[in-house]
Amino acid sequence: MNFSKTKITVAFTIEKCPKCNALQKRKFSEGDALFAASSKCTSCGEITSIEKIFGETLDE
Amino acid sequence: MMNLVNFTNIDFDQLFGMNDNTNPLMMLIWILPIFLFVFYGQRIQLFVTSNEINKVIKKLDGFRSESRTELINYVKNSLNPNNDPTKKIDQFLDYFTIMPVDMDPNGIVDKVRHTVRSREDYTREHVKLLSPEINDFELTKVQTLLEIASSLQMIYKIINHMYLTAKKQNNYPLILPLQMILPFIMEQAEAMRDAISPFKLGQPVGDGIGPMVVGKMMLNSPKESIAFQTSLAKIDFEDRKLFLLKAEGPGSTVGRPADALESLVSDNKLDAIIMVDAALKLEGEESASIARGFGAAIGGIGTERFQIEAIATSHQMPIFSIVVKQSVKEAITLMTKDIADTADNVRLQLYDMIRENTKPHQSIAIIGVGNTGGIPQ
Repeated sequence: MNFSKTKITVAFTIEKCPKCNALQKRKFSEGDALFAASSKCTSCGEITSIEKIFGETLDE
Repeated sequence: MMNLVNFTNIDFDQLFGMNDNTNPLMMLIWILPIFLFVFYGQRIQLFVTSNEINKVIKKLDGFRSESRTELINYVKNSLNPNNDPTKKIDQFLDYFTIMPVDMDPNGIVDKVRHTVRSREDYTREHVKLLSPEINDFELTKVQTLLEIASSLQMIYKIINHMYLTAKKQNNYPLILPLQMILPFIMEQAEAMRDAISPFKLGQPVGDGIGPMVVGKMMLNSPKESIAFQTSLAKIDFEDRKLFLLKAEGPGSTVGRPADALESLVSDNKLDAIIMVDAALKLEGEESASIARGFGAAIGGIGTERFQIEAIATSHQMPIFSIVVKQSVKEAITLMTKDIADTADNVRLQLYDMIRENTKPHQSIAIIGVGNTGGIPQ
């Protein structure tokens, strides 16, 4: 029996609103690049830009 | 009636002949292993060690074929090649580079630079031939994936060669250095295997922290190409002029910062150079910790650093550096949250460094060193 947990790395994208500085975290989708324009801000409707792209390691 | 053996009444002293020192059978039982280990100890160790190494080599073989398959599938599915690229890619993977003779070290840096760049140019031109529709962004990705696959192939071949030689010669001492270096080799190989996915998807890697910091400073300023795959932007900061340099993103490239700096100093008077880069952490050091220092922070084969140091020396400019510590794996795989979170802090420390080490009306070159995959400017 194998008790060790498999670790997987999931990529996330952080979007930042230039107007209200709200941060929104979502899963990375292909084509995302840092500083690029992304979706609309959920608080004020302004177009957000990608602030960070990073990976988080999770136990499967 | 059947007589049952009474197991509760065994005399162990009698069974092992402990009371009788002259029992020849017991003499053999004790002495045989001693002779066995004296004469065949190394062979037994060789057998045990080679079994362990064999398992690791199978793993390396798996990494090698996985990276090759990933590369072939990526080219086939994403780039619409004219013909089946398998044969061509297999040829690339076996390409070798013969480094210049260093018996006379005079001019060796230029020779090494020429050899390495010729190889890069050759690969770039031949990857372009694979698909007529390939753009620069995809081209840099395929080049990086090719480098990963050929490095894994080379690691596998060398380790397998050392293992088979030791086994063929039944030479235990020959297998010892292999056993000692294998954990380090595996660390690198696993990191390279894990690097395939982020480079394929165009995600930033840990090494991209330098371009990430400088790239953000370049936003909203006009950019120009100053050297091959290298971008320049000029901004003002507290009465100082900053020349921001980084590899041209979001393609997977490190650019040519030394050529860019050379071009910059030919037209401008610079007073200092500040480099921002990722640096390998020592065991026990915290990942994503920031350190400041003196001297050119740039890795690679050494030619870029040599050129930057030569420019700084001839123009009497100090070189300052800010580095973000990370492991080999973190440097070439998807950027971790900790490293990404340091970007703002690094930028603040960079501004501090400018204030502390330069005066108003001076000009400073800021170089974001590292792979800029997934990081535009």
